[in-house]
Amino acid sequence: MKGIAKLGLVLAIFAAAACASLAVVYAITKPQIEAQDQIALTASLKEIFPEAVNFEDVTDKLVSKDANIKFLNAVLVKGENAPIGVAVKAAGPSYGGQATLLVGITLQRSIAGVRVLELKDTPGLGANANNPGYFVKKAEKVTFPGQFTGKYLTDAFAVKEDVIAITASTITSKSLTKIIKTAGDSAAEWLETVTADTSAETTGGK
Amino acid sequence: MDLIKIFLVAVLVNNVVLMRFLALCSYIGMTSDVGQSVGMGFAVTFVTVLATAATWPIYHFILVPLGLTFLQILIFILVIASLVQLVEFYLKKNIPGLYAAMGIYLPLITTNCAILAVTFENISFKYSFIESIVYAVGVSIGYLLAMVLLAGLRDRMKSSPVPKFLQGTPILFIATALIGVAFMGFSGLIK
Amino acid sequence: MKSLWKTFKQGIIYENPLLMLMIGLCSALAVTSSVSNGIGMGLAMTFVLLFSEIVISLFRKVIPNSARIPIFIIIIAAFTTMVDLVMKAYFPELSKSMGVFIPLIVVNCIIMGRVEAFASKQSFLPVVFDSLGMGIGYTWVLVAIAAFREILGNGTFAGIQVMPGNFQPILFFILPPGGFLVFGLLTSFNIWLKNRMAKSEKAKERA
Repeated sequence: MKGIAKLGLVLAIFAAAACASLAVVYAITKPQIEAQDQIALTASLKEIFPEAVNFEDVTDKLVSKDANIKFLNAVLVKGENAPIGVAVKAAGPSYGGQATLLVGITLQRSIAGVRVLELKDTPGLGANANNPGYFVKKAEKVTFPGQFTGKYLTDAFAVKEDVIAITASTITSKSLTKIIKTAGDSAAEWLETVTADTSAETTGGK
Repeated sequence: MDLIKIFLVAVLVNNVVLMRFLALCSYIGMTSDVGQSVGMGFAVTFVTVLATAATWPIYHFILVPLGLTFLQILIFILVIASLVQLVEFYLKKNIPGLYAAMGIYLPLITTNCAILAVTFENISFKYSFIESIVYAVGVSIGYLLAMVLLAGLRDRMKSSPVPKFLQGTPILFIATALIGVAFMGFSGLIK
Repeated sequence: MKSLWKTFKQGIIYENPLLMLMIGLCSALAVTSSVSNGIGMGLAMTFVLLFSEIVISLFRKVIPNSARIPIFIIIIAAFTTMVDLVMKAYFPELSKSMGVFIPLIVVNCIIMGRVEAFASKQSFLPVVFDSLGMGIGYTWVLVAIAAFREILGNGTFAGIQVMPGNFQPILFFILPPGGFLVFGLLTSFNIWLKNRMAKSEKAKERA
């Protein structure tokens, strides 16, 4: 009995020491880890909307029409004087797990840009969606997310017809396109309500 | 339907050994005999499902509420190690034949990367409990499948003319590469 | 000093964990589709190996024999978690691209094997040299495989274009079967190398 008690004690001491040291490392790294997410988000937002000055959180205002695609975050992007667009951080299923994209929509209901934030698909295949060196249009150096810039939400979004798929990664291409379309449509819909309000205000104010 | 999709993807499309390079040590080491492979495959299935059933609740009901997610690696591997110990005791007492046959490979199940990977992915893929169990079973069946395939191939290869420079381990990897190419055909299964 | 240097060299060639001992394979093949992943993994593994070996060696007289495996696991898991946290904080891109393979360092057979066979029986200096030798041995093989796969499969090395512009990458090498193939060929080359070395050793002895 005494032998086992001693074993248990030694084990417990090592476990406690391990947990304690981990707690310390965690406490040190936690703020940085959380900051990294923010840094990535802000950097991506600035890439899509270079004239952005500040952002207003509108996360509860956008509703996803697809049960599998969740909107983690939505911001109204504001320029110097007026809003210039909406950005939605959307997550949905892709080949290797959840994929998280940042989709920017302009006031004209076109896509300002798409950034891949998180992607767990196969390296060399689906993961090329996030590879800055992989081009779906080699001559013009257009990447997979890059091809969506300037595309109107009313355009067709059929993969392999209107949207160029990544070689040998049809599932990834379709999944990401779906996320982009869902996010874009919701943002555009919400923008309708917002601009309807503001134009009603201006006419009402007159 | 989603559950079936998770299962099929785990067994065929994203096979744990052939597509994801996991559990290789046991794959190379324990496939010299088909019976051995089947035994190992079932042992791994058993441990993986139990490990999922244990780690999923621990993560969601203890680690997250208490803010202790940084202990995930530590807790998960200890749970797996303990489960393997329990399986060892049980086999030694009740099925001594199997215990003797498995020998050193029984404790080695603890270091089977596939099992730990499954417990981690249940969390990172944000699966529900049922989805996690289905995923665990799927991955294990995929492992069993890969093991049996290679064991069968090795049996055939004993009477085949293998070039001298490929004899031993190299031909096993090349055979695996070829099986893998065949499995890549399965990626059209899911839309 | 000479024996320390010998311990160090063992891990790099003669007892190279991947090529000679054939352990720690899973992570080796999975992360070698790109050179930066290979280097990252090599460094992460070496860190965990080094500190686990050091701690276990320092406490080897205190760790009771019958409970040694769980204690080894606790120590290795602790250092693996530290690497995971630090990478998430300061190298988030690399951490995301390596995914579950960073936590999987805890079941890397190299670490468990080395710690059981060497660190639990040796003192501080030899284990430092052993872990560094093994770590570098692991890393250079990883980079070699990754270089081959990335250059032929993607035309790049660590993300930098090295093949001429009109080179059509052979996608096969980045895919899993390609990884197995490359490793199979590397193992074959290695066996040939071992035989050559054994022959020259015998020739030296006779001379």
